[in-house]
Amino acid sequence: MKLKASLFSRRQFLNGLLAGGLGSLAASLLYPLLKSAIPPYREPDEVRLPLADYKDLAPGQVKDFAWDIKPGFLKKKADGSLVAFVGVCTHLDCNVSYQAEQRKFFCACHEGWYDEEGRNIAGPPPAPLRRLTVVMEAEEIVIKKEAPA
Amino acid sequence: MKISRLWAGFRSWLDERLGWGAVLGFLRQKKVPQTRHTMWAYTGSAILMFFIIQVVTGIILAFYYRPTLEEANASVARIMTDIPLGWAVRSIHSWSATFMIALVIVHLTSIWILKSYRRPREMTWMSGVLLLVCSLAFGFTGYLLPWDDLSLSATKVGTDIPRAIPVVGNFFTQLLRGGEDVSGDTLTRFFSFHICILPLALLAVLVIHIFLIQKLGMSLPLEAEIKKKKVREIPFWPNFIFREMILWLVLLGVLLSLAVFLPPGLGQAADLRAPAPEGIKPEWYFLFLFQTLKIFPAHVLFLSGETVAVLFILAGGLIFFFYPFLDNKPASAKGKVLTALAWLFIFYALALSIWSLLE
Repeated sequence: MKLKASLFSRRQFLNGLLAGGLGSLAASLLYPLLKSAIPPYREPDEVRLPLADYKDLAPGQVKDFAWDIKPGFLKKKADGSLVAFVGVCTHLDCNVSYQAEQRKFFCACHEGWYDEEGRNIAGPPPAPLRRLTVVMEAEEIVIKKEAPA
Repeated sequence: MKISRLWAGFRSWLDERLGWGAVLGFLRQKKVPQTRHTMWAYTGSAILMFFIIQVVTGIILAFYYRPTLEEANASVARIMTDIPLGWAVRSIHSWSATFMIALVIVHLTSIWILKSYRRPREMTWMSGVLLLVCSLAFGFTGYLLPWDDLSLSATKVGTDIPRAIPVVGNFFTQLLRGGEDVSGDTLTRFFSFHICILPLALLAVLVIHIFLIQKLGMSLPLEAEIKKKKVREIPFWPNFIFREMILWLVLLGVLLSLAVFLPPGLGQAADLRAPAPEGIKPEWYFLFLFQTLKIFPAHVLFLSGETVAVLFILAGGLIFFFYPFLDNKPASAKGKVLTALAWLFIFYALALSIWSLLE
């Protein structure tokens, strides 16, 4: 039955109501399923390394550390300060290695290269290695997740 | 005498309830066209044989495999060294996967070139493309499960690729990885994809695929259809089935020989913080994509090369899925151009794979 002024019949209205209701029910069930499929991500705010492990670094030398489940690299600059990189390729997420004799970072997955400042210089990487802030304390090196100023 | 009558009685009892007489009658009368292209029709059932082998050996492997960061690699080592014939089961599973994917590629390429997807078989093709996606996903998820350094790097790259898709990409990467990064959660969920989600998905699509093939029958070669030529036919049962069985036995022999003499190795347990091993390569069927990613520039105009490459791959996949509608006049000039482009693509994929192997 359709009233003269109406845009649709009673049947169309009820069908729409039913389909809309069932659709929203399905969506409200799907949402928590998808939500629970991804655990929360918690990157550490900081990682503390004993200074003693890194005090013998010569200028220009690089040593690795654990940035949570990712590899990190600490490099001593010529002026004696430290720079920290996350050793994960910015192309497709492979772990990079430091090639000491060439003074470059290398990603074996698709042959990406970064110089010792972490700048992408060859191959597919689209961006430099991520840098972390290094703060020196009396007995410890504190590496914080923020990018250095 | 009495037993045969009992048996006949049981069969008619069952038929009254199941109505399977119609199905058997259909199969008894089914005919398969016999032309010079018929050889390609044997590839489908061979894929099915390898799939059944995957299911059986996979179930046995799942008895012993432990999908956690701490135990995965060691449990595979135990299968290889301690479980009676465990090495053979894993070797068959690994080789049979390779055979299955190789035959899927042959099956699909033959249909692509012979244009068997043409009306009214468009949906058979589309279900077939979905089966290809399932098969590749099986290969990709299975590759991680031994949890050695090669499989870890392959998974890091493979699951990072969706991230390059604008808007929804990040969500897919997190859904695949179970978080921002590849971790123990990724391994556990890949196991769940591999033994639960993908088998269900593949079986559902396979039912549609096989039903459509029975409903529509084998396609005739394009030239026979145009010229309305009378094509010789052979009965599906027993002539065609027996021929198929010859192929199954030959392939089974090759599979078992390779599996016994060339079992797969197992690398050191993966370390999440170790650098990617040098000279790494994915499984052979991903080599052309891998090489494409490698030679793609870091930036194309204002987009990152990765995004462009991934959008290309996605577009290619969509075009492939809807290909029968693109090639809607297969006998025309457009159809011939599309066949030429198909050959070009096959040549590209082969050339890049070989390049990657030689590097």
